[in-house]
Amino acid sequence: MGRPLLEVRKVTKRFPGVVALSGVDLEVGPGEVVALIGENGAGKSTLMKVLAGVQAADEGELWVEGKQVSFSGVQEAQKAGIALIHQELNLAENLSVAANLFLGREPARFGWIDQGGIVREAERLLGMVGLEVSPHALLGDLTLGKQQLVEIAKALSTEAKVIIMDEPTSSLSLSESERLFEVIRDLRAKGVSVIYISHRLGEVKALADRVVVFRDGENAGMLERDEIDHDVMVRMMVGREVSQFYQRTEHQLGEVALAVRGLRTVDHPAHPLDFEIRAGEVVGVAGLVGAGRSEMLAALFGAKPALAGEVFVGGRGGLPGSPREALERGLTLVPEDRKGQGLILEMTVKENMSLASLRRDAKGPFLNRRREEEITAEMTAALSVKTPGPWQQARFLSGGNQQKIVLAKWLALKPRVLLLDEPTRGIDIGAKEEIYLLMEKFAREGMAVLFVSSEMEEIMGMADRALVMHEGRITGELDRREFSEEAIMGLATGGKLSKAV
Amino acid sequence: MKKIKGILITLILVYVATALLGENFLGGYNQGKLLERTGLYGLLGIGVAFVIIGGGIDLSIGSVVCLVGCGVPWLVMRQGWSPTSAVAMAMLVSLGIGLWHGLLITKLRLQPFVVTLCGLLIYRGATRGMAEDQSQGFGGEHEGFRALGTEAIAVTDKFGIPFPFVIMVGVAVVAWIFLNKTIWGRYLFALGNNEEAARLSGIDTDRMVILSYVVCSMLAALGGLLFILNGNSAQPSDFGNFYELYAIAAAVLGGCSLRGGEGTVVGVVIGTAVMQLLKNMINLVDWLKSHMEFLIVGVVLLVAVMADEVLKRRVAKRR
Amino acid sequence: MLGALALSGCGEKEGGKAKFALVTTGVASFWDICKKGGEDAAAALGVEVEVLMPSSGDDQKSKLEDLLAKGVDGIAVAAIDPVNQAGLFDEVAENAILITMDTDAPASKRKVYVGMDNYEAGWMCGELVKEALPDGGEVALFIGRLEQDNAKRRRQGVIDCLLGRDKDASRYDAPGQPQVGPKYTVLATITDQFDRAKGKANVEDMLTKHEGIDALVGLFAYNPPLILEALKQANRLGEVKVVGFDEDDVTLQGIEEGTVYGTVVQDPYEYGNRSIRILHALSQGDKSVIPEGGFINIEARQIRRDNVAAFRGDLNSKLGK
Repeated sequence: MGRPLLEVRKVTKRFPGVVALSGVDLEVGPGEVVALIGENGAGKSTLMKVLAGVQAADEGELWVEGKQVSFSGVQEAQKAGIALIHQELNLAENLSVAANLFLGREPARFGWIDQGGIVREAERLLGMVGLEVSPHALLGDLTLGKQQLVEIAKALSTEAKVIIMDEPTSSLSLSESERLFEVIRDLRAKGVSVIYISHRLGEVKALADRVVVFRDGENAGMLERDEIDHDVMVRMMVGREVSQFYQRTEHQLGEVALAVRGLRTVDHPAHPLDFEIRAGEVVGVAGLVGAGRSEMLAALFGAKPALAGEVFVGGRGGLPGSPREALERGLTLVPEDRKGQGLILEMTVKENMSLASLRRDAKGPFLNRRREEEITAEMTAALSVKTPGPWQQARFLSGGNQQKIVLAKWLALKPRVLLLDEPTRGIDIGAKEEIYLLMEKFAREGMAVLFVSSEMEEIMGMADRALVMHEGRITGELDRREFSEEAIMGLATGGKLSKAV
Repeated sequence: MKKIKGILITLILVYVATALLGENFLGGYNQGKLLERTGLYGLLGIGVAFVIIGGGIDLSIGSVVCLVGCGVPWLVMRQGWSPTSAVAMAMLVSLGIGLWHGLLITKLRLQPFVVTLCGLLIYRGATRGMAEDQSQGFGGEHEGFRALGTEAIAVTDKFGIPFPFVIMVGVAVVAWIFLNKTIWGRYLFALGNNEEAARLSGIDTDRMVILSYVVCSMLAALGGLLFILNGNSAQPSDFGNFYELYAIAAAVLGGCSLRGGEGTVVGVVIGTAVMQLLKNMINLVDWLKSHMEFLIVGVVLLVAVMADEVLKRRVAKRR
Repeated sequence: MLGALALSGCGEKEGGKAKFALVTTGVASFWDICKKGGEDAAAALGVEVEVLMPSSGDDQKSKLEDLLAKGVDGIAVAAIDPVNQAGLFDEVAENAILITMDTDAPASKRKVYVGMDNYEAGWMCGELVKEALPDGGEVALFIGRLEQDNAKRRRQGVIDCLLGRDKDASRYDAPGQPQVGPKYTVLATITDQFDRAKGKANVEDMLTKHEGIDALVGLFAYNPPLILEALKQANRLGEVKVVGFDEDDVTLQGIEEGTVYGTVVQDPYEYGNRSIRILHALSQGDKSVIPEGGFINIEARQIRRDNVAAFRGDLNSKLGK
């Protein structure tokens, strides 16, 4: 590696009461893909904000191409050739692709926007990321994966030398992710450097030239290309040995807890769904984004009532017409969008945990405060939720602890069936492990667990059985003994399984 | 308590300032009148607070005030109804209005701003048609009925606690219990913060939204009734004009967030008192001119909201 | 055929009755009496009349424009903002016969103004205050708004009379300062912008600020009833004198009961009646109805306890009650 393109030397950033970064170093060479990994709160995002000029460092130096720099704003960082692509995209859905590419810096001739110029330049940039869409297309009509590529094209238009990507695949399908990786490799070949932040260690392994690990705001180690290994990365991030990540035990299967017959969802009415789950069983639902997995859960839970079919649970048939009806039968759902659907961020830990059981415990119309406090204490202990107190607002907790609050809300109801939609998305490794342990525990206690996951490892590690979906239908059912990446991918992409019994 | 600190300080500051600068401000008569006005406008504020906490907005309050304020005397004086049946009718109609708003907003998914803006026009228009644009009042009759809006519980010979204030305090206590002690109150806060998450927690959010609009319209009706009993003169074309904005301003002053999920009854009552106190101050302090009223009320509102936001950020930073 | 149709569109009505319109400043029982006067005249003359009551200046503009679009032969309008509406009125005057009533717009091309001299009427109101308070005293004036010309002049008439000045209708004392004369002091003029709860609160605040106040004068029709209500709730009815303007039922009843000393009434019936008669004459080409100076004075009257019963009876008969 020659002279580094970007150098971070001993950068420290303090927030009131917290040292977010404590003397960290980072080097990025030209045309290098550096993966930055670490648990939530390890300081990755803070460093990215410092690099992108969003926040200023308290101590330390930044060097770009051998010159020391300091950014007082995003524009200055852009001028120096650093572009940040946020996890949540910063695009205007109601504008065209071309308009998005040049938003805020439209090339103008005599005050008129040079439309022709914009379109030509947009075509060139889209070509660079291999995106075949019209510059006139409305951004909102593109898939998330394509929008992501538009964001990268936008970064390229600023002549970026270093592009920082924060969890770029968190909402992409597998094929979209693959496409993104190709673009990243292509950028690397063109001499553009990429700092890649991800929780998905498989991607990191496939993509990175070098891995830099942060822990608690400090450098926790570095791995060269040939040293990159899943377990080593986990150990460096967590700071301890993770011998057995998925601690599965054999489950005692009971009666059928949930039986679904001919369920037709609003989104895929042509494909009726049929399956059963037993008490004490953990079933994973695999498939690509858009396969109709979340829609199925939403229909079971009555969040988006199904058109037809029967859902048998707790000795009752019929279709749940609302979440309330589903809850009465003992069905619960941990939704995919934790902050938007699972939690009420402004409310306290206690208020969130007791929300679903308020009515059951109420004395007439009045709140049962004592019962509320008991539930909170019980659940905080049972799920080892880390919070300064029950009065803390949910938004101040980490992703893992927030997810535990959502679980606690349902456990207080002692449900028969627990539906989970991407239960570990955006949660750091340590907390992931805890969530898995909890899912295990619930199954042992006789709950039926049905979870949707886009992470193959998660399905293969946790499930007794997997349902694989493709374009709204269940294309196959795999027993634990039949699990393999090839089998699941084959079904998920619509292939037939030659089922060897 | 911390949520109403800012507005409480504002109230005390304005009160002390007016006591020092105004003439006869502390007299029993004036204090009684201030309570009376806080009672009348406070009912509207408490009503709209329910809707705002639930994440909505109601712009039709002033027109409901007009409908009831003109409708009750119209029924009693022109149609020969008894006061009791006229009041029952007013409550029934306002219940229907709230129900209608709530249904349009929850079942048809119309925006609250649009629904209640149309309400604002419709109810005023309907009132004007019904009353044929004539001034409405009880003349010199129905003194007993009107006592509800005009009389007071005497404390000294100059000072009494006016009935409208007593009624408002009663409503405030019930509202406080509802919001803080019942599961429905908790549901309302939850859905105001995040309707989707509340619904997915098994809360019948539609029912709560409808309830909030019903409460708002019925309290607007009760306010309108007391306004006409108290003032005895209502013109369909302008009675209650802008009262929804006064109510919303008082609610915001009192700590309600227009984003929903936040607010206290005590804050709203204090917010109402501040608004009424400011108007009183402008009349009692010599060098404040009446044409400065909106200017002063607007500036104080903005300063109070700004101070509140700065305080909140400080607290958030310290975390 | 086509030519005949086109011709019939302008002026000459084939068999159709002439159409006139009365446009008021707002909605009030005052205007209902005016409407009655106009309708009676129209019935007597065999013409059509439409009475429009706008809710604001903007609304008045669009109502006038709508009338032009519809086509009328003549319009009598009460100006809301005489100075700034001159242009609008000129446009109307080009397309129809335009006269003003109640409130004039002297700068416009209106043919004639039918109304009352508000300064004179205000002066008459001042005389009533003097009668009620022969030994002098402190007075406060309450009014809806001061933007309109009739309000300004009416208020000035009261002040000039009480301060013992010579009559000068062009004088204008800006509100805000107390006007102190040898016997009478006008403490303040307070507006309520037509918000009745505020109008009542204004009276209450005045009673608080000036405990020894001697008389309260309500210059818009709804002000005297609000004054009475506030006084009643303060238990000071009769102790503080009340002088009013216009003929609200409550005001007239107050005069009968002795709680109001007197009121000055205009003759809205006559405004409406005379306006339609003049418009009809003008549409027939009779210019003799326009007097020197273009002002037809419909005199105001003072109503006291002695003549209130007769006045009320006359009023009720005009309103058909």
